[in-house]
Amino acid sequence: MEELIRFGEKFFDELEIATYKSRDASVNIELNEVSTSALRERVVTVVRGVKDKRLGVAIVDSGDKEKIKEAIERAYKLAKLNKPDEKWVSFPEPGKYREPRKVDKELKEVSPDYFVELAREGIGMASEEGIIVAGGGGGAEWGESLIVNSHGVNVSQEGGGAFFYIELVGMKEGKVTPGIFDFDAKLSLKLDVESVVKNALQKVKWAFKTEKSKTEEAKVVIEPWAVSSLLSYALFPAFSGERLVKGTTPLANKIGESISNELLTICDDPLHELSINPVIADDEGVPTRRNVIVEKGVFKGFVWDNYWAKIHGVESTGNGKRNLSTGGISIGFHNVVIEGGKKSLEEIIGEIEHGYLVSGFQGAHSSNPDNGNFAVVANPAFLIENGEVKGSAVFMMSGNVYELLPNLYAVSREQKVLPFGGSMVVPSMAFDNVRIAGK
Amino acid sequence: MEDRLEKALNWALENFKADYIEIRYENISKNTLELKDGTFTTFADKGQMGVAIRVLADGAWGFSSTNRLENLEKAIESAYRLAKATAKAKKEKIQLAEIKTYQDFVKSKMKIKPKEVPIEEKVERLMDLESLLKEDGAIKSTWLRYEDASGEKILITNEGTKIKWDLNYVWQYVWATGKEGEKLAAARDEVGAVDYGWELFKEKEPNEEVAKRVIRKVHAQLEGVAPKRGEFPIVAGPIVVGLIAHEALGHLAEADLTINSPFKDLIGKQIAPEYVTMSERIVEGGFGNDRYDDEGVPVKDIHIIENGVLKEIMLNREYAHKWNMEPNGHARAENYTYPPIIRMRNTIFEPGDWNFEEMIEDIKFGYYVVDFRGGQAQLNSAFQVGVQEGYMIENGEITKPIRDTSISGIAIEALKKISAVGNDFGLEMGRCGKGQTAFVSSGGPHMRFDGGIIIG
Repeated sequence: MEELIRFGEKFFDELEIATYKSRDASVNIELNEVSTSALRERVVTVVRGVKDKRLGVAIVDSGDKEKIKEAIERAYKLAKLNKPDEKWVSFPEPGKYREPRKVDKELKEVSPDYFVELAREGIGMASEEGIIVAGGGGGAEWGESLIVNSHGVNVSQEGGGAFFYIELVGMKEGKVTPGIFDFDAKLSLKLDVESVVKNALQKVKWAFKTEKSKTEEAKVVIEPWAVSSLLSYALFPAFSGERLVKGTTPLANKIGESISNELLTICDDPLHELSINPVIADDEGVPTRRNVIVEKGVFKGFVWDNYWAKIHGVESTGNGKRNLSTGGISIGFHNVVIEGGKKSLEEIIGEIEHGYLVSGFQGAHSSNPDNGNFAVVANPAFLIENGEVKGSAVFMMSGNVYELLPNLYAVSREQKVLPFGGSMVVPSMAFDNVRIAGK
Repeated sequence: MEDRLEKALNWALENFKADYIEIRYENISKNTLELKDGTFTTFADKGQMGVAIRVLADGAWGFSSTNRLENLEKAIESAYRLAKATAKAKKEKIQLAEIKTYQDFVKSKMKIKPKEVPIEEKVERLMDLESLLKEDGAIKSTWLRYEDASGEKILITNEGTKIKWDLNYVWQYVWATGKEGEKLAAARDEVGAVDYGWELFKEKEPNEEVAKRVIRKVHAQLEGVAPKRGEFPIVAGPIVVGLIAHEALGHLAEADLTINSPFKDLIGKQIAPEYVTMSERIVEGGFGNDRYDDEGVPVKDIHIIENGVLKEIMLNREYAHKWNMEPNGHARAENYTYPPIIRMRNTIFEPGDWNFEEMIEDIKFGYYVVDFRGGQAQLNSAFQVGVQEGYMIENGEITKPIRDTSISGIAIEALKKISAVGNDFGLEMGRCGKGQTAFVSSGGPHMRFDGGIIIG
């Protein structure tokens, strides 16, 4: 790589070369059957170079030296055509990395056959009358990356993870339940298929009975997958330093202020014990760290990549994430952790006289990150009466995330690992006085 | 390249006992530009090259992909071994519907292919669009994305299919954030084409039009009031009608999903008034247009709903065999790293005979929803559409804009409540995610729903 950097320096004032190798082994489940097994291998190299503050990027589906040289030349041609970016400062300098997590090499070699067996097991456990395994899958992903730049950054990482998920649909007496899914993701092959199927089955059974939801203000318990989808679109973008610079975050001037209450703590912590994305460097080679974003309800600060941090005169927090289809870097998260609370989900539900449990939101991605407004459909969702789940109840929930968060009254002890935007570790969260529109 | 692929195919035929072998090669150059508030944060030239291999053996699929051509034979062998291993776990053996095979070259219909346009011109156009947007005082931040591709795709199978495409597309996405006082609002806009090249931006979607549209959407939200929640008469514009066609109904008509959806038991039944027809077909300018799908099957026009009756569904060869129907060209793969799956192309409601004024004149209170930001649906046709441009209808007139809201309902219920189908037509370009991304379009005329849709 050094040789390639030196080659690139003939053209550029500074440059970065990042190579990503991946191997995915997976199987698909379709209609109670394993459908396709797949093995996919890919090598992608991204060259970013800057000449007189002009950026040029080239991406090539290869890790070959000659192909990378060609890519450097193509990136240079583009850079010459680009307009100078007067805000550009420089690529990152080398930093000190933490000790990487031990990786499970089994993930690198595992054959899709392994997941064929796992899928067969899962389908078997779910085969009950009126239950269809509509979809699902399992697999392992292995990745190796190398990021070098002309300032001396040189960091290689490797690692992988495995996942299993299942989607069940209930069909009984002409009634079709919404698709209910559950999953497990780990840094090893020790996937808990049994719990995945058990959880999904439980919910399909609840969903067979439909209950009416009212238009009212009620307690709403939101489960991890639904929490992550809502907050990922309505709240987390507001943590981006780029938005602070541009004035498009409602959190500007809010550092040190409470946006919720002492129950809410959010950090981005790639090396958290449950993380399935334990990176020691971000996609620009900047060391990652544990960034506390919200502590006991108080907003602590923004996250940054190299570019925006330098413009704002702060340090990158190691949150540069690369989009492999465009080569570009933008601010993102590695492993968002929402701290768990004291009570179990069961206890939280048990204390509710009348309320709702939400497993998924439809339309969270239509939320407005610029102001926190959302309008989503809670589905799958369930009615809770006298501490028990009674049946499925679909409703609309629209409002503003900054008005919702102060109504947080309980956070579950259990946290779930989600393969969402890298990885997330999320508990169930219970809110009081949530306005809902029933159906 | 065809020779190299054929050599590998012949080698595989000699060495393995497979029912079906399919090799799909692609080599595409892309230009990707992202202009964020005056700076090109992405200015990239991308070479995407690789091979997808699908093997059917003992009634099961194996798939592999690689971008190392020297590994082609090894990749075929992987796919074969995977199929064999999967077959052991399979109760019902997969069979493919018979097809006529084609040897063809699919020419591009573009007048000006993106690779013929100097990058300077692409840069200038985006900068011009940005400055047009920022001429409006309320627009605080813009993010413009542009991507084009030119290249080739080759599909060969052991059955004799041999199709080569001159593959091209152009795509543009705008995200604009506006601010007035403490109010923030955002709007998106997306255009793209596979049959129009650079002429799309010169003739059909010039910067002035795009900018005007985006500014209108942002202002509608900045000035908008929160709507009343509940069930009211709703008039949906072509973009929203298209989204309902795609998200809430189209997915149910994808054969792999139909089987788990209420559509399964409704084929041949009246599910909407007789003046409602919904098609999956080639449309002038449609982003999902193609001559063949990724299994080499010619793309056919189908009527999902014809005069209110649920009639046809989208099929690939596997599901066509399962349903004992003719495959109709809906197997699509995002790129060489994916196997083809059943996808939509252009999903539309066909126009009727109402004009817009007639449609709203007797509405005392209701809503006119024009454009969305994100939409999602469940297999039971429950849908949710975030509205990014909408207005109140009061006493037969369009009055105030509404902001940050959504509409939802159960599509198969809402269909029955369609009371008027407009005589106009509009099409929206987009990308559909079903594990893989596909370029699609959706649209239709204005339509009125008297109930069945909840706003708020």
